[in-house]
Amino acid sequence: MRIVATYNIKGGVGKTSAAVNLAALAAQDGLRTLLWDLDPQGAASFLFRVKPKIKGGGAKLVRMRSDVTDLVRGTDVEGLDLLPADFSYRHMDLALDAAGKPTRRLRKVIAPLAEYYDLALLDCPPSISLVSESVFDAADALLVPLIPSTLTVRTFAQLGDFVAGEVDRRPQIVAFFSMVDGRKRLHREVVAALPAASPDDVVQTSIPAATEVELMGVERAPVVVSAPHSRAARAYRSLWDEVRPRLGV
Amino acid sequence: MPLDVPTASYALPDGVDPPELLAYLGKRFPVVAEPGASRSYTVLDTADRRLRAAGVDLDLETGRGGPRLVLREPGGRPPLVADARRPRRNRYLLRDLPAGPLRERLAPIVETRALLPLASVEVGAQLVRVLNADDKTVARVSLATPAALVGGGDGGTVPLTPRVDVSGVLGYPKPLGQVTAAVRRGPKGGLIDAPISLADEAIAAVGGDPEGIRTKVHVNLSPDQRTDRAAVAVLCDLAGMVEANLPGTLADLDTEFLHDLRVAVRRSRSVLRELKGAFPPEPLATQRDALRWVQAVTGPTRDLDVQLLDWDHLVSAIPVERHAALAPVRTLLVRHRAAAFRALRRELRGPTYRQAWDAYRAFLAGDLGPSGERPDAKRPIIDVAGRRIRKVYRRMLAMGAVIDATSPAGDLHELRKRGKELRYLLELFGGLWPRRVVKPMVRSLKELQDVLGVHQDREVQASYLRGLAGELAKSTGGPAALLALGVLVDRLDAEQREARDAFAERFDAFAAAGQQALVAKVFS
Repeated sequence: MRIVATYNIKGGVGKTSAAVNLAALAAQDGLRTLLWDLDPQGAASFLFRVKPKIKGGGAKLVRMRSDVTDLVRGTDVEGLDLLPADFSYRHMDLALDAAGKPTRRLRKVIAPLAEYYDLALLDCPPSISLVSESVFDAADALLVPLIPSTLTVRTFAQLGDFVAGEVDRRPQIVAFFSMVDGRKRLHREVVAALPAASPDDVVQTSIPAATEVELMGVERAPVVVSAPHSRAARAYRSLWDEVRPRLGV
Repeated sequence: MPLDVPTASYALPDGVDPPELLAYLGKRFPVVAEPGASRSYTVLDTADRRLRAAGVDLDLETGRGGPRLVLREPGGRPPLVADARRPRRNRYLLRDLPAGPLRERLAPIVETRALLPLASVEVGAQLVRVLNADDKTVARVSLATPAALVGGGDGGTVPLTPRVDVSGVLGYPKPLGQVTAAVRRGPKGGLIDAPISLADEAIAAVGGDPEGIRTKVHVNLSPDQRTDRAAVAVLCDLAGMVEANLPGTLADLDTEFLHDLRVAVRRSRSVLRELKGAFPPEPLATQRDALRWVQAVTGPTRDLDVQLLDWDHLVSAIPVERHAALAPVRTLLVRHRAAAFRALRRELRGPTYRQAWDAYRAFLAGDLGPSGERPDAKRPIIDVAGRRIRKVYRRMLAMGAVIDATSPAGDLHELRKRGKELRYLLELFGGLWPRRVVKPMVRSLKELQDVLGVHQDREVQASYLRGLAGELAKSTGGPAALLALGVLVDRLDAEQREARDAFAERFDAFAAAGQQALVAKVFS
């Protein structure tokens, strides 16, 4: 099972949108796929109409007192299952801190699911915390959505430095531009410049700022399912086709 | 499996059509009907239906991006999928499949057998999702109208039983129970469990046998049955296995067709020899000669198959740096095997085989003549087979008792041949005695035979490889290959010695006093 986390220190950059759409595309391609909604806001769980609640809460899960296989829920997309969010995940840092070897804990928690899935996508909460460090340790790759701005690019560089310097198991980092507004000159310039400057880290495909993506909250389904021929869905398909070989799935 | 979800398959009875069931479900649950879809695929399995026995379905589908293999297991888990090339020579061997989870899952089941297309199926399906109060899918109902394609579609289609498959969604057991109960009640008196799988029904519809080619004899014998009739019934079943394995042998689909054909012939020879008193002497001698000829013309190919099947195992034990030097040896073995197979095919396609086999079938179907010259013909099979089991067992005890570290390899081989006789008697007629007696005897015999088998195989393999030296010396890379060959032969000799060392212990278990007493008592 390959583990890929959608991560950015900032919120509202398209992590959850990327996670749910890429997870749906992976399942449509025949990969046995698990999406773990680690964000206490539970947006991914909401989009799949699954109650953002797990028996025993996050602390019990982190202490491995819950059978993680009992917590998985099927989604409306065949081949895609969800490990739901729980509001108690807001205290996951504390739970990890109380457990032994906190940065390695999430890898252990998810390990019993490895035999059932080809791909696990972790939808992470925005922050840099013990949870993020544990995610970095668990993940084979970080998929990083970037909004095209100078500050975002700087933050991306900081993430690269942090992973290179502080994380033992260094996950591969693959970034893509998200919420791109082609009418803005800055967006156009940054989107053109960064992939050319860092072709190993930043892929060519970018996800447009699109109404259909915003409507996912109304449709409560990934855009690749609810509007598969839309511009945004086609962009996610291109993104998946481009990152899949890089992620090794 | 903790992540399994229940699934159930029902047959749609006559008089109920899919729209009617759909309307029936719509009145009871919030449902969404997905657009109808059709799917074409080919059912793959080994000739002896190993996947079916393991509860695995393997389909070859042609979809977006070319052909792909889809492996489904019970429990409703997502299938394993792998891209595949079009099958070469209408079969897939494991090595033809891409590395990954699907091949890993198949490997221990399929082993050396080829995956063959057994039936092509076209399914029109209507998927219905059952929703909960949040409009979340909590169960799926698939209404399928399948048809088998005859001759890959050129010969038209055969409609198969329409089916209703109900599958749950992980984490939502309660709605699944409600939907299943409703489907079982169904319109017009309810639905029944699907009697056989769709794959089996499709295979039968195109003239195949859903059970596949058997390796075990299925004949109901009664203890007081006349020996000649019991023997003929068993021989006819074995003859059917020879015939079933012949096309796959001639097409060289995998090594096991030839292996199973030879086992069926060997068992037949064993029955003719051990129960010879049930047959008239003259036609019996002719038929035994004919079957011996079949064994002789198929033997060289099988010996070389064993060499090549064991190759990776043997080579794994010698230093990695010598592996490259062994390439010419393997090339030579492959070339010899190809030549041996051409000779085999020539013989088994030729008039000698055809006439001999027709005569053998006529012998089994015809009148065996007056029982006067067949002293065992009318005697109960339990008496005759029991007497033979006892005698062969005693003969083996005598032969094994004089084998020691200095005995020639031929002595162990003779004992092994006797062991095969005993094993076939027990396999073919053992059902006439209590299982608790036969089973431990077969087990100890099998353990002894395993050791004797390794001993003899290594003898033959080492001898064959030594015989390659002259030819090898003339080939490119010959001197290096000869040195590596020496290491390989040493390895074979070492394994033969290990087998001989293990012989005494295995034989002691086989010849234990308790077992001797039991044989004398039960088979008297």
